[in-house]
Amino acid sequence: MSNNFEEKMEGQAETVVGPSVKIQGDLNSEGNVKIEGQVNGKIKTSESVYVNQGAVVTADVHAGNAIIGGEIQGNLKISGNLILQSTAKLLGDISCAVLRVEDGAQFSGKCSMKIEVTDTKNGNGKKLSGKSDKPELEPEEE
Amino acid sequence: MYYYILDQNGLPIDKFEKLQTELQGLLSEFKISGETARVTPLRSIVDLVDTASQRGIRTLVAAGNDDTFNQMLAALKGRDFILGFIPFDENSYLGKILGARDIFTGAKTIAARRIEKIDLAKIAGNYFVSWLEFGVLSQRIKNAGLWSGMKMLSSEPQNLTIRVDDSYNVSITALGGMVVNTRSTSAHDEKIACPTDSLLDLLILEKLSKTEILRYRKSIAEGLLEKVPKTTIIKCRKIQFLQPQGYSLTMQGRIITKAPAVVEIIPQRLRMIVGKQRTF
Repeated sequence: MSNNFEEKMEGQAETVVGPSVKIQGDLNSEGNVKIEGQVNGKIKTSESVYVNQGAVVTADVHAGNAIIGGEIQGNLKISGNLILQSTAKLLGDISCAVLRVEDGAQFSGKCSMKIEVTDTKNGNGKKLSGKSDKPELEPEEE
Repeated sequence: MYYYILDQNGLPIDKFEKLQTELQGLLSEFKISGETARVTPLRSIVDLVDTASQRGIRTLVAAGNDDTFNQMLAALKGRDFILGFIPFDENSYLGKILGARDIFTGAKTIAARRIEKIDLAKIAGNYFVSWLEFGVLSQRIKNAGLWSGMKMLSSEPQNLTIRVDDSYNVSITALGGMVVNTRSTSAHDEKIACPTDSLLDLLILEKLSKTEILRYRKSIAEGLLEKVPKTTIIKCRKIQFLQPQGYSLTMQGRIITKAPAVVEIIPQRLRMIVGKQRTF
């Protein structure tokens, strides 16, 4: 699935920030965003963000999916897949549904993921859900 | 009722007279005759649009080249007309976009009267449905020979500052670029240059290596900058050219205005008569 997502990202970016571009401010898009240059501010899209190797982003990123190959200083709030490629350098907190970290990726920050596990402790087989950075799991609401 | 604005605009008089006669014949044949007014030094396109408005005319048709249509757009001043276009120039970009590639298909398109709402772009009191250019692109790479084209594309890039959607500033070292509403390569499934998406496409070309120039010269000449690597693509509603001051923005080789300048999109503003062969 992740490979398909990566392939899809390569060819379909609606917004492309070229290597010599510096963006200052809030970049809001309704489609896929590919960053090859520098962005200072915020990046927001309901679709996917691809931060290319060599790109420098000092911004909070809110997106549907993200592939990170460059440098980011800021928090990532991703509702779907997040891939940190081997060249990624990330200083900030992550929140995502699915995370893949490749060998060599550098990451410093907190990671929060919504997870679901079976309650074996009480032997009732109920599902428990919570966030990975929380110590206690709570029964899932029905 | 139809109001036809006939514009010689650069055509030799004998060719224009011939096209005018051919057009009159086609209008009768397709039963779309109306009032025909010719642009003269004493009757500009603005005067003719004013006259049409005073007479309560609903459909304005520009017969001439792309510039005729653009001048007619500028003369509308917010007044509501259904617009049509009949090209006297077979190389008309607008004709290709609207699906009226020559005088015959132009007249046939008007007769079929298929109306589409499309976006209108505005800059410094001018309106356009196609595109603007800046930097080396405005120097007509397409018409330049191989070596002069290479030389233009090897020129020193300029530092531009552009504000987008009142939200962020873009600083870029660029050779040139385009602001596109629609173009002759537009298509329904194309994400760039769709005239019904309520968005402008800002395409900016960065400095290229010699190999890249040779490889992508054709795409650049056709305005397909998204095919060139490192091109910046931004979809937006408002573009402000801030720096350098005095930087020229051109439409079909004609300087429209200079920076600082604002380009905006007015969604679904135009009601256009379009043909089956339209590109969007």
